[in-house]
Amino acid sequence: MSQVYFEDVDLGYELAPLIKEPTREQLDAFTKVWDTSTGRFISDEAARAEGFTGVILPGNMSMAFLAQLLTEWAGPSGKLRRLEVNFRRWVQPGDRLACMGLVTDTDTNDGENKVMLDVHIENQNGERALQGTAIVVLPGKR
Amino acid sequence: MLEADPTDAIDFDRSVIGVSYDVGTHEVTEQQVAEFARAIGETNPLYLSTEAAKNGPHGVLIAPPTYYTSIRLQAGPDPKIVFGTMGFNASQHCEFYEPMCVGDTIRAKEQISRVFAKTGRTGTLVFAVRQTTYVNQHGRIVMMVESSNVRRDMGQ
Repeated sequence: MSQVYFEDVDLGYELAPLIKEPTREQLDAFTKVWDTSTGRFISDEAARAEGFTGVILPGNMSMAFLAQLLTEWAGPSGKLRRLEVNFRRWVQPGDRLACMGLVTDTDTNDGENKVMLDVHIENQNGERALQGTAIVVLPGKR
Repeated sequence: MLEADPTDAIDFDRSVIGVSYDVGTHEVTEQQVAEFARAIGETNPLYLSTEAAKNGPHGVLIAPPTYYTSIRLQAGPDPKIVFGTMGFNASQHCEFYEPMCVGDTIRAKEQISRVFAKTGRTGTLVFAVRQTTYVNQHGRIVMMVESSNVRRDMGQ
């Protein structure tokens, strides 16, 4: 795994997008490990009764994709410190999701190399499913 | 003139606000970490390979940051909001202090920090903000989550 350093990033730095295409099998695995009985995540029929075209992903599952984008970027010596997301639109199995991050600020005030980011997930139609902010702590070169 | 706060008109149990409840403990297992990681399409060897984890920064398998979403806790405080026909997760705010490691025993505490109503063009929304704190067997807070749920009336 490669390591990004604090000195490598600046305002406007864009993370390479992480593309996720969650499958029905992954959704079923997620709801099984979570052990949920919420109909709209496990049954097409229940989801349709609530006005969706079929099962939708729990927001928490999409949020995990943003965490993955950030931890992969932060590398083995970087740390995800904060993740704050708003759920704006539902996601369904088969959607093609682009998980994106943009550096909005950097800060070394309290002795840590903090990188502030705007993050979001966009679906295949250009709609934002999740939007939020994050803080990642990166190692310095010295 | 002060506008009326729409929250005043909402029927809910105000006695639970700000009261912290123990909502149980969770054993972080290799199996659950692996199942969670696979479900979200994670391939990071720090979550999945004992060998790689041993040589990694933590020396043991760790869980992905949002692993907490797979933890089944006891039912926390319920503000019993009498409003709306449907509930959604509106937002999550996570502060991560250290990773949960396989073998950890995590204790969770939960409180409802706020219930409030907002009235906009699409009608009234009622939000419940729940704060969960996760503490490991060493007594250290590993993470904190503030999760906001919204209830609305789909018939509006």
